[in-house]
Amino acid sequence: MVKAKRLGLKERYSLMTRGLDWETTYQPMDQVFPYDKYEGIKILDWDKWEDPFRLTMESYWKYQSEKERKLYAILDAFQQNNGQLNISDARYMSAVKLWLQGITPLEYAAHRGFAHAGRAFRGAGARVACQMQSIDELRHAQTQLHAFSHYNKFFNGMHGFAHIRDRAWYLSIPKSFFEDAMSAGPFEFVTSISFAFEYVLTNLLFMPFVSGAAYNGDMATTTFGFSAQSDESRHMTLGLEVVKFMLEQHEDNVPIVQAWLDKWFWRGYRLLGLVGTMMDYMLPKKVMSWKEAWEIYWEGNGIALFHDLNRYGIRLPKYHEVATKEKTRVTHELWATLYQYGNALGLHTWVPEDEELDWMSEKYGELFDTMYRPRLLFMREQENAGKRYFNNRLPMVCQVCQIPVFFTEPDDPQKICVRIVEWADTKHHCCSDGCADIFNREPEKFVQSLIPPQQIYRGEAGGARDIFEYAEWLHLKKDVDTGEYRGSPDHKNWEAWRSEKPTPQTNSDEAA
Amino acid sequence: MSFRVTIEPLGETIDVEVGQTILDAALRAGIWLPYACNHGLCGTCKVNILEGEISHNHASAFALMDVERDENMTLACCATVDSDVVVEAEVDEEPDAEGYVIEDFLGIVARVEQLTPTIKGVWIDVDGDGVAFQAGQYINLSIGDMKHPRAFSIASPPSSANLIELNIRLVDGGEGTAYLHNQLSVGDQLSFAAPLGRFFVRKSALEPIIFLAGGSGLSSPKSMILDLLEAGDSREITLLYGARNQDELYYFDLFSGLARDHANFTYLVSLSDAADDQSWEGARGLIHDLATTHFENGFAGHKASLCGPPPMIDACITTLMRGRLFEEHIFMESFLTAADALEPARRSALFKKF
Repeated sequence: MVKAKRLGLKERYSLMTRGLDWETTYQPMDQVFPYDKYEGIKILDWDKWEDPFRLTMESYWKYQSEKERKLYAILDAFQQNNGQLNISDARYMSAVKLWLQGITPLEYAAHRGFAHAGRAFRGAGARVACQMQSIDELRHAQTQLHAFSHYNKFFNGMHGFAHIRDRAWYLSIPKSFFEDAMSAGPFEFVTSISFAFEYVLTNLLFMPFVSGAAYNGDMATTTFGFSAQSDESRHMTLGLEVVKFMLEQHEDNVPIVQAWLDKWFWRGYRLLGLVGTMMDYMLPKKVMSWKEAWEIYWEGNGIALFHDLNRYGIRLPKYHEVATKEKTRVTHELWATLYQYGNALGLHTWVPEDEELDWMSEKYGELFDTMYRPRLLFMREQENAGKRYFNNRLPMVCQVCQIPVFFTEPDDPQKICVRIVEWADTKHHCCSDGCADIFNREPEKFVQSLIPPQQIYRGEAGGARDIFEYAEWLHLKKDVDTGEYRGSPDHKNWEAWRSEKPTPQTNSDEAA
Repeated sequence: MSFRVTIEPLGETIDVEVGQTILDAALRAGIWLPYACNHGLCGTCKVNILEGEISHNHASAFALMDVERDENMTLACCATVDSDVVVEAEVDEEPDAEGYVIEDFLGIVARVEQLTPTIKGVWIDVDGDGVAFQAGQYINLSIGDMKHPRAFSIASPPSSANLIELNIRLVDGGEGTAYLHNQLSVGDQLSFAAPLGRFFVRKSALEPIIFLAGGSGLSSPKSMILDLLEAGDSREITLLYGARNQDELYYFDLFSGLARDHANFTYLVSLSDAADDQSWEGARGLIHDLATTHFENGFAGHKASLCGPPPMIDACITTLMRGRLFEEHIFMESFLTAADALEPARRSALFKKF
């Protein structure tokens, strides 16, 4: 039997795109692409790059525009239909606020970072992949803003996300994460964002938010999530491709990649602490606990991936065992911290309801019942006695991850973990061995971090003299945008809307 | 009830049950297609439907766009088939696949020989034109009234189309191999389907070949090496074979003879369980260690073919990769046992074949 020879999809694509790039002659290639060698990554043959997208610009526009039409049709219906009334509880909005303030600006930062990487690589395949992802990320930032904008009419604390992005002390956690990546070389940037964050840890970011949105009746965010997920698969493939490419091109690349994986695993894990806290505390209807998510997505899938990477000589990232030890504590420690600094947050905090505490006992067991439940109950008792606790000073934050230095020792949940590192006769504080190692590897880089509490106390925050003046400088209104959820305008409005179900008054109506 | 699905550009045809997804059927048949989320959301497994009717089922409207549906695309992880279908997937073509069509054969057992205490050689006589296959392929042998056929690699070269040799290891508790070891005798009739599998020599690639084999995994390498040497292929060919002890070592004289007669063929043996055997003068230990010692400059610039028990394959892949030989140059048989198909081992998406 003779089979007609037909061109495969891969072959057709390579014929169509072959030879579209060229070696420059007026200027040496090293000057045209000055950034893709200094990190020490050796590439012997850029043609070995497997284009993970295989998408032409023409089809790319076609797909993305259809996605937009569908997304906006659903967002329209959601808005017309007062979809904000269908969420599980107004406390859920703290999760949305955290995403809007912390994550959406990261999408925009990713757009900038990939645009830069898309200029930096001398291989055409890698450049095109980064450029397309750059456009994707811009679209994600934009569609998220549109999806969330409806909520801004009804809930407080969302009006100034762009203003507080560079000013709020707690938003320096996600911001510094990305700026660390963007100020690295192009290979480290793609390893950190595409591989460590979007591939290894992506399920721990996306699953809680998108499933959390679905569980809590947030159709706008759920729909955005679906529209983004079809892009995410491409981004993950890019992450896998770039890491395999580096590891296969030259054996000298292996220790460099290993050091990046050590660093970005720990940085990603620290950042995800915020997401875990959202899962355990901010979602009125819980999807799963942080501990369960960590077990499935890291201890299961992540370790399986590193088992495969071991064939290249890559070992598990440093301190992964510490992250696993912390899985029963990290979210409880973080929530208690957010709770006390509530006067300087653009979202609300609270003590969970009894049935939520029972859920946590079930998920976290004895440690929760002996350490965290009594503390939460004490906080509730104080609040009921009219003494809702706020710490009105700003915390010392880690020089690397910029999270307040409050995590506990890996083997002692009763002892705060502080690591002091020194460079050029100056001491700096880190929250963990993981962060201290990152500092010590690149001290010249991390001494330059602008640490928000120091800057604020130096008067750089519009001369604010205390936390309340500082919140004003952020355009956050005391006890409206900030502070305790119980008794807040968000809470009262919600109760009123839910009991009467009238057409709600919008903020702009009030202002008028 | 099932339909036939042909996967281009491989030209492989597989059976897909009604209600089974194309992706599931392909992976179970040992054909890798790109995929990620496996539930219709990400779009990684998009394929073109060239012929036939399919149902998209729950493919997300964001992962499979209307324009794509109009252009006969679907997601293999969701699509089920309503007729015989031809799909085109983003997989690498195999320029060396000769594409023999699978046929059913009836043969007579011509010879049975105890090769080692646990391995039996079985020779099956096939009339007429015999079996057309590529060295390295396997057959699905029907045994007695057992429901599922058993897969065995062909140990004889394609030039011997009328006499098919199988090397059958007695599997602990294995019903099929127990029958073949204890009851099969000369003159019995056997029916089988052949040829199957995508494990063959990439002849168009000119690199030297390393065969790493263990136990009864010697069958395919034997067929491939005989085929190459018969054709006068002049590239460097190295066979590293691992057995437990001298009793389990078979075809030693055959390969030693070939190594004497062909300057481009090297034969190395390592015994893993021969510490007390004074009469053995060769290497001891596992073959991936022997490979590291023998190829002191690493494996880059070779092709490697692996055949043997899973722990051996696993150790060899790591050894080859540490020696700078990567997935696209490593080949292995991937016929899955029924147990593998039920419970796939936990693995990541890093590799396509391993």
